[in-house]
Amino acid sequence: MSRNFLVTRIVDLAIVLIGVSMLTFLMIRLVPGDAVAIMLGANAEVTVERMNELRARLGLDQPIPVQYAQWLGNALRGDFGNSLWTGKPVVQEIAVHLPPTLQLAGLSLLLGAGLAVPLGVAMARLRGGWRETALQIASVVGLTVPSFWLGIMMILALTSFAPELQLLGYVPFTEDPAGNVARLLLPAIALALPILANLARLVRSAMLDALAQDYVRTARAKGVSERSVLFKHALRNALIPFVTSVGIMTGYLLGGAIVVEQVFAIPGLGRLILGAISERNYPLLQTAILLVTSGFVLVNFAVDLLYAIIDPRVRLEADQ
Amino acid sequence: MRKNWFSALALAGAMAFANGASAQTIELAVDGSPAGLDPHIVTAFNSVQIVSGTIYESLTMIDKDLRTVPGLAESWQISPDNLTYTFRLRGGVTFHDGKPAEAADVVASLKRVMSSAIASPLASRLASVADATAPDARTVVVTLKEPTAPLLTALASIAVVPRGFEADKDGLQRAPMGTGPFKFKEWQPNGFIALEKNAGYWDKAKPRVDGVKFNIVPESATRQVGLTSGQYQILPNIDAATALQLRGRPNVRLVDTLELAYTLIGMNVSKPPFDNPKVREALNYALNRQEIVQAALFGAGVPGGSLSPALKDWAVDVASFPCFRHDPAKAQALLREAGITAPIAITLLVLPRQDIRDIAQVVQQQLNRAGFRVELRIPEIGQFVQDWRNSNFDAFASTNAGSTDPDDYYYRTFRTGGSTNVFKYSNPELDALLDSGRRETAMPARKAAYDRAQAILACEGPAATLTYGQLYTATRNNVQGFDIIANRSLMSLSNVVLGR
Repeated sequence: MSRNFLVTRIVDLAIVLIGVSMLTFLMIRLVPGDAVAIMLGANAEVTVERMNELRARLGLDQPIPVQYAQWLGNALRGDFGNSLWTGKPVVQEIAVHLPPTLQLAGLSLLLGAGLAVPLGVAMARLRGGWRETALQIASVVGLTVPSFWLGIMMILALTSFAPELQLLGYVPFTEDPAGNVARLLLPAIALALPILANLARLVRSAMLDALAQDYVRTARAKGVSERSVLFKHALRNALIPFVTSVGIMTGYLLGGAIVVEQVFAIPGLGRLILGAISERNYPLLQTAILLVTSGFVLVNFAVDLLYAIIDPRVRLEADQ
Repeated sequence: MRKNWFSALALAGAMAFANGASAQTIELAVDGSPAGLDPHIVTAFNSVQIVSGTIYESLTMIDKDLRTVPGLAESWQISPDNLTYTFRLRGGVTFHDGKPAEAADVVASLKRVMSSAIASPLASRLASVADATAPDARTVVVTLKEPTAPLLTALASIAVVPRGFEADKDGLQRAPMGTGPFKFKEWQPNGFIALEKNAGYWDKAKPRVDGVKFNIVPESATRQVGLTSGQYQILPNIDAATALQLRGRPNVRLVDTLELAYTLIGMNVSKPPFDNPKVREALNYALNRQEIVQAALFGAGVPGGSLSPALKDWAVDVASFPCFRHDPAKAQALLREAGITAPIAITLLVLPRQDIRDIAQVVQQQLNRAGFRVELRIPEIGQFVQDWRNSNFDAFASTNAGSTDPDDYYYRTFRTGGSTNVFKYSNPELDALLDSGRRETAMPARKAAYDRAQAILACEGPAATLTYGQLYTATRNNVQGFDIIANRSLMSLSNVVLGR
C-alpha cells in the first residue's frame, strides 16, 4: 500500500468531517422550535427574563457563526461541551449509550452479512424451478418489510408463545451475558433481515456474473472441482461489490438502530439522538451525529483498504 | 459449531426465564426519560412521578381524594391571625442514608426552594413565606407575610431533602435522597430507574414490595405488549386512546379517575370582540362540550367548569350554569343584542399538541355555525408560548395541569394583574372573592367564596373551560393496592403488593 493512497484518504476524511460538522450545526439550528422554550415548557412559571437568562447561560444568544467557531475551537481541544438538559459532558452521555448500539449493529451485521454469502451462492446455484422463485419472493419481502414493524410483530408473537421471556430493554453483557444476548437477538434479527435480503441478492447476481466469465469456463475445462470453482474463482471476484455494500449498510444499520431501539426499549445511541432532537439538545446532537458520521466514513475508508487487499488491481492503479 | 450456537441460545432463553420469577419488584413502563431527580429543580411530569411520594415526602401530602393530609408533619397549629403555622414532625423519620430527618432539614428545604441560587420553579408557591425556623428538632415554625390558606396544599409539593444542598444544584439530580418508602438504587439513562425498599421507613407496614423499576419505553406499542405479556405490571397515567386498546385484554385491569387537567378557550378581554361580556357568553352557548368529549376524547371525559369535578369538595355542578347548555340560536341572539353583525372574524391561537388541535377543529365548526368565523393559527411551541404570554391573540385553545387548591389556579389566572392572567381580565367583585378565599382558613368561608367565583367565571369569564379527560392506569390483574390519583401521583406504590 502506498503512502499516497493513505494520505489522500485521510485528507478526504478530514474534509468530510469538517463539512458534516458545519452542516449539522446549521441544520439543527434551523429546525423550528427554540431549545429554551422547549426546556422550560408552557407552564406558568416561565417568564421572558428566565428564558433570556437561560439562553445567555447556554450561549444560545450568540450569532450562529460565533457559536460554531466556539464549538469547533473547543472540539479540537477535545471538549465537546455539556448536555443542555443534564449538564453532564456530552462525551460521557454518549459513552453510556454507545455499547448497546455497537453491540446491536455488530450482531446485525454479523447475521446479515454472514448469512448473505452462503444464501447468495445457494441462490445463484439454484437457477430455475420453484426454489428460485421462493427465494426471490422471500428476498423481496425481506427487503421491503420495515424493521420496526417486524420488531413489533416479533415481540407480539414471542410474547404470546413464551410470555415468560424477558425480551424488552437491555442489560450489559458484563452483568448478565445470557440476558444480554437474549434481549439483543430479536432486535438484531429485525435489523439484519433487510441487510440479509439486500446482500444475498447482490451476492447472487455478482456470482451469476462471475460464473459466466471466461476464467470460470477455463477453470472448469481444466478439471477444477465445482466447489473450488465456486468459492475460489467466482466468489472472490463477486466479493468486491459485496464489500462496498457492507460499508454502505453500516450507515443504514446506525439509522435503522434508531427505530429498532425505540421499539425494543434499548437505551442506545439512536434513542439518545432521537431524544436530543426533540429536546433541541444542540451540543449532544452535534457530537452524536459527528460520531455516527465518522463511524460511517471510517468504515468506508476501511472498505477502500479492503479493496486493495481483495483486488490487486486497485492497489496498482493507486500506485501509478 | 452451529450446535454450540443453538445451545447458547437455549441457555440464554432459560436464564431469561429464571429472571422472570425473581423477588417482588413492580415493573412500570413510562414513556419519557426524566431530566433529573432533584425535586426542587425539575418540575416536568416525567421526573415528578418518579420521585414524588416514593423517594421524597413533604410536610403535608395530597391523598387519593385530593385532600391535604398530614405527611412528615403529624399535626400543625395555626395562630389566630393566620400568620404563624407551627408544625409538629413525626418521630423516628430518617433519610435514606440513616441520618434522622429533623426540623433543621425541613427549614433548609424550604429555604432552598426560596433561594435565588437554586432558582427553583416552585419558589412562587412559597411567595407568602416570611421565614421558617426550627425551635427544636421536631418543631418547624413558618411565618407568613400575609394570611395564605393554600399554604398547606403548597407544602405538599415541597419535598424535604437533607440539609447541606442549599447551594448544590447537581447533587440530588443524579443521586436523590429523601425520607420516602423507596430509595434510589440505579439509573441507566434511557433504560430504567430502579428504586429499592427503604427498610428503615417510618411506617413499618410499607412498602410491601422489594422494589420499583421505572422502565423507560418510548414506543406506545411496546409498552402495551409489555403489559399484556406480563413483563410490566403497571402502565401509569395513560390516555383514553391507549386505555381503549387495552380494555378487555386477558389479565389486564384498568382503573380510572377524572383528570385535574382541563382544556379551555381563553379570550382576550382587552380588545374586541371579547371585551364584550355578551360575546363571551355567546361563545359559551355556541360550544357543544359533549360533542367535543365524543370527538376529541373518545367519549372518555366530561364537560366541566373552571374547577375539576375531581375536586369534590370544591367543584360546582356545571348543570347549574345555563350557558353550559348548547344553544346556537341563543348565541346568535346574544351577538345581535351586543350590536355585532355576524359573522365575527376571530383568530384562534392553538397549542401545537395533537389533542388540542383536534379540539380546536371541532370548536371551529361549532363556532362557525353560531355566528363566528374562526381561523386557526397553530404555531410551533416557542411561538405559542410567546404569543400566549404577550396576550397576542383574540382567543386561544390550550390545556393546563390544574391544581388541588382553587387559589393556586384562580389567583394567578383571574385576579387583576395575576401572573398568568393573559386574558387581561379584571373584575373587582371576583378580586375580592379571591382575596377572601386566600385569607380565610375556615373551609365553609372559602367554599362560599369559590362557589360564587365559579358562577362569575362560568358564563362571562375570560375562559370557557371545555373538558376534563378521564385518566387511566392499566395494571396486571395481580397488582393489588394501587390507587389512581387525579394529580398523577404514584405514591400508592408503597401500598402495592403483587399477588399470584
